[in-house]
Amino acid sequence: MLDWNIIIHYFPFLLKGALLTLQIAILSLVLGLAFGLGAALCKLTRNPFLRWPAIFYVWLVRSTPLLVQLFIIYFGFPQMGIDLGPFWSGVLGLALNVGAYNAETIRGGIVSVPAGQTEGARSLGMSGALTMRRIILPQALRIIIPPLGNNFIILIKDTSLVSTITLVELTLTAQRFIGSTYKPFEMYLMAAALYAVMTSTASLLLSWLEKRTRNEAR
Amino acid sequence: MESQAQSSTNTPMLKIDNLHKSFGKLAVLNGVNLEVEQSQVLVIIGPSGSGKSTLLRCVNHLEAPTDGEIYLEGQLINDKNKNHQAFEKHINHVRCKMGMVFQQFNLFPHMTVLENVMEAPVHVLKKEKSIARDIARSLLDKVGLLEKTEAYPLMLSGGQQQRVAIARALAMEPNVMLFDEVTSALDPELVGDVLRVMEDLARDGMTMLVVTHEMGFAEKVGDRVIFMADGVVVEDAPPKEMFSNPKEIRTKQFLAEILQ
Ligand SMILES: Nc1ncnc2c1ncn2[C@@H]1O[C@H](COP(=O)(O)OP(=O)(O)O)[C@@H](O)[C@H]1O
Ligand SMILES: [Mg+2]
Repeated sequence: MLDWNIIIHYFPFLLKGALLTLQIAILSLVLGLAFGLGAALCKLTRNPFLRWPAIFYVWLVRSTPLLVQLFIIYFGFPQMGIDLGPFWSGVLGLALNVGAYNAETIRGGIVSVPAGQTEGARSLGMSGALTMRRIILPQALRIIIPPLGNNFIILIKDTSLVSTITLVELTLTAQRFIGSTYKPFEMYLMAAALYAVMTSTASLLLSWLEKRTRNEAR
Repeated sequence: MESQAQSSTNTPMLKIDNLHKSFGKLAVLNGVNLEVEQSQVLVIIGPSGSGKSTLLRCVNHLEAPTDGEIYLEGQLINDKNKNHQAFEKHINHVRCKMGMVFQQFNLFPHMTVLENVMEAPVHVLKKEKSIARDIARSLLDKVGLLEKTEAYPLMLSGGQQQRVAIARALAMEPNVMLFDEVTSALDPELVGDVLRVMEDLARDGMTMLVVTHEMGFAEKVGDRVIFMADGVVVEDAPPKEMFSNPKEIRTKQFLAEILQ
């Protein structure tokens, strides 16, 4: 049977770990959106100096495991004189990772807006950048939000991997208390419950956002 | 006398000189020469695939001509001497003076009718919002859609959408309007309203290039009709002459077909 005393006693500590997980997830989300939008726009330009690095970045991230990417940043980069520490290594690794998946999602959304929209805007004298910002992206957003939300939910779960680079977030917090309590079942169940709360809340927020953009743009 | 002939009053609104356009190996325009005077309504007819849309799209550079020159009020549009950035600026400026209306309307579905019409005046011409709104409302009034300002495009009929598209183009106060089969996607009973708006525009002195299959409109509103086939202008005549007494055999065949 579950040891409820252990659960009640250790829950606040795990909650603290969950707060760090949330912090890492939100920072990675924001950075990952910037990376994703940047890479998507670069992939869509004709300029080879922007296009090819973006293509390479997306390919590299999607063809290697996140865990190895984190190890390269945390253990490998210091060898090149770049020591970001566990927190920023974790955030950067997760952001670069989700950014590559976001790039494909955003690019897909942009190209799915009919060419006539660009032509209509350009024929009015709107520049390429203005057309993208005012006409294409707002319409692409409606298509992008659901899969982007999916990427974000995966990101929340993927944050558990930064426990391997000494970041005492939710998973590592749970792990640490197992040594002294010998209660792995209770600890991991609590961790799982807290992950579920975070992903489900994110999910609810997203469907609300989805509904709002749909109503706005009919 | 020579210098007088070049003075601005005699410069045609639009001059197209030996225009060629190919898509890869497919040659679509094969040397189009054309002059359109200010306030003239030029109707362009011809079989499907003859290059009518490509001609209009080259005029406002939605397609880059392969060869030849296009001048708007004496100013070269497809200026190859400019670098990329300078050309972008130049072409946006040129497009501000040319309105285009498309077969599929191409209205912005995420904006209301009023926002559609205000968008370019506010963000391209940097007009005050209140001024742009007044202009937009008066144009929507002109096309008979003042009561639809807050509607979204997809809530309107095709004919209404097309009239919004015309108002949107007019909001830039263009010198030339390009119409590419603007009634072809409409239910027959909605065509009249759109043609009436275009007729009003012609009466107000707008210079217009109109690709259409509406021969009644061509005859009533057009100053000139050109017949295009295989990427060249085959015949160029006033509407009455074109329809009652075409000279070229290909024109005769085409007219016989579409007039049954
Ligand atoms: N972007 C394009 N790429 C390749 N071929 C094109 C393109 N646009 C038009 N064409 C071809 O050019 C020819 C002329 O087209 P178009 O100018 O649309 O004719 P029209 O408007 O007279 O029907 C057609 O054969 C068409 O398939
Ligand atoms: Mg056409």
